[in-house]
Amino acid sequence: MKQPIKLGILAVAVLAFGAVRMPFEARLSSDLRAAGLTPAPLEIDTRDKIDQTSSAVVLGGLRTLVATFLNLRAFSFFQEKRWDDVAKTFGTMVDLAPRTRYYWETGAWHSAYNAASSYFNDEKLAPLRRREAWRASIIRGRAFLERGIRNNPDNWNLHSYLGFMLSDSNKFPAFPDTNETFTAAADAYKRAVDTGNALPFVARAQLYSLARVDGKEAEALALARSLYKIRRNHTPTVKTLLFVLEAHENPDMDLVKRAVEIFETPKKAYEALSAYWLRTRERYPVYGVAATLEPLEKTLKIAPDESIFKQPLQRITGPDDWFAK
Amino acid sequence: MSSSTHSLGSHVSRISVIAMHAFTQLVRMKVFYFLVVFGIIMIASNFFDLPQHDGPESMGLNVLRSIKSWSLGTMTLFSVVLAIVATALLLPKDVEDRTLYTILAKPVPRLDYLAGKLLGVLLLVFVSLMLMNLLMTVALHLRTGMVLKEQLQMAENLGWPQATIDAMKAETLQQGPSWSLQGAVFAVFLRASIMASLALLISTFSTSTLFTTIISFLIYFIGHFQADARDVYLQSGEAGQGVFTRLVSLLVSLVLPDFQLFNVIDAVIQGQTLPLITLGKLTLVGLFYALFFTLASWFVFSEKEF
Repeated sequence: MKQPIKLGILAVAVLAFGAVRMPFEARLSSDLRAAGLTPAPLEIDTRDKIDQTSSAVVLGGLRTLVATFLNLRAFSFFQEKRWDDVAKTFGTMVDLAPRTRYYWETGAWHSAYNAASSYFNDEKLAPLRRREAWRASIIRGRAFLERGIRNNPDNWNLHSYLGFMLSDSNKFPAFPDTNETFTAAADAYKRAVDTGNALPFVARAQLYSLARVDGKEAEALALARSLYKIRRNHTPTVKTLLFVLEAHENPDMDLVKRAVEIFETPKKAYEALSAYWLRTRERYPVYGVAATLEPLEKTLKIAPDESIFKQPLQRITGPDDWFAK
Repeated sequence: MSSSTHSLGSHVSRISVIAMHAFTQLVRMKVFYFLVVFGIIMIASNFFDLPQHDGPESMGLNVLRSIKSWSLGTMTLFSVVLAIVATALLLPKDVEDRTLYTILAKPVPRLDYLAGKLLGVLLLVFVSLMLMNLLMTVALHLRTGMVLKEQLQMAENLGWPQATIDAMKAETLQQGPSWSLQGAVFAVFLRASIMASLALLISTFSTSTLFTTIISFLIYFIGHFQADARDVYLQSGEAGQGVFTRLVSLLVSLVLPDFQLFNVIDAVIQGQTLPLITLGKLTLVGLFYALFFTLASWFVFSEKEF
């Protein structure tokens, strides 16, 4: 057979073979994508962001390997405090490996914690510039984490980390509405608990956030009661919040009697409530706390000079104070 | 030619002899030296434990991911390079050594010769992957044990409930050696097998080793875009693509293999489970390509004059 004829037959065979396999491959490809086993095609934007060599490696089907290289690069940017480059690199990394929790958490952490703290302490910048850069970094960290959650809705760690970030006393002042921020934190913790895999502290953390939302005291009390039924949850904060929320629900109850019931002895009740009283920065509710501490001081014969009310309370400060000069 | 030369047994026996010869020939080229490089990469990947903010329950998980990522990445690169270069070398080397003339002068069907050569390369790729897999699995097993030990110690100290410890253990074990990881290694082998059979087809009409190698690598890279081209073609009615775009995307979809299917290894690196049925389907795809390309090679090679 002559060579051109042979090549012609071969070309027809290749096309016919392609036509036979195409429907099978298309179905398998969409099944794999639906099952999350193969990622969505890379956006042109992502292809532009990685250099030529990395693009070739990505084309070779090694996305996670390129993400690992980029992680090393991002670490160098972090050491050099090149925060925009850190954010851009993590943006590319999560495009390459969207199911890796570590990249979402670390990217958010760099932005909301490292970049924000760096700007916070950067004395070379004018106060207003520092404040805006600090706020923008925290907002960017939150947005990045929320994107990670949208990509991995079943991952309890990401939900929990969002809750942690939003209820952090150094972070929530960056958001305009504190009540809304604590609600979002409690919701994030709840979603983490609902996955069924979260560690025990997450349910307690949900209570810590929910208790700080004005208007949700009844919901928080119900949660505190259900947590309190389990011995492991008898932490000082859970006990105190149970007491405080009960005092909110029923201001006429015998506060001292209930405090002693919860904390076992007047001394333990006084110590726990005193410590709680001083935690002003965290903005926990204090219903009935002062009214319980006063009679407890008398019962325990605390000298007036040593009264908890003589100790200076930490002033509640915010960005207005932090960036005053 | 006697009927015995065409019996199934004699085909199998001839193919095995040629395959073993090709394998020995390639091993003598000292290709296994790359295992030293792989070993160094394996050790290095153990040290990429960058500072992190994770809770103690997640400590060390990133290193496990890093070991898998580096290992499977290196396996993919080595296996594809080995499959393409070894296959591209075989026919020209046999011509140069004049071994080809000796073989073809005997009653050896050309299909047996090609199948034997291809199987020799695939055996080399398989053995290489198994050795690398062994190294990776041992390293991962040891490291997972260390991570787990630390985590369990911490969980015990903190008095975590059993259900929580089990959940943490499951998450850590998901990042360790698993059947899915073995499936991913097999997917790497399948992709290399397709490339080897494709390189064999190209080498039957190519004029040089370099040409075969370059074209094979080009096809390998473009093959990762095949799925995109197919999507463009299948959705072009809705997207209002022009006739030329449709034709080009159709041509790419029909001619090139879809290598994106084998990117399931990325999901396994990230801790996902690779279902057996998926691996079965990928095997089917791999076999389909390997058989077609081998038969096509034979079609071109059958009447080739030397």
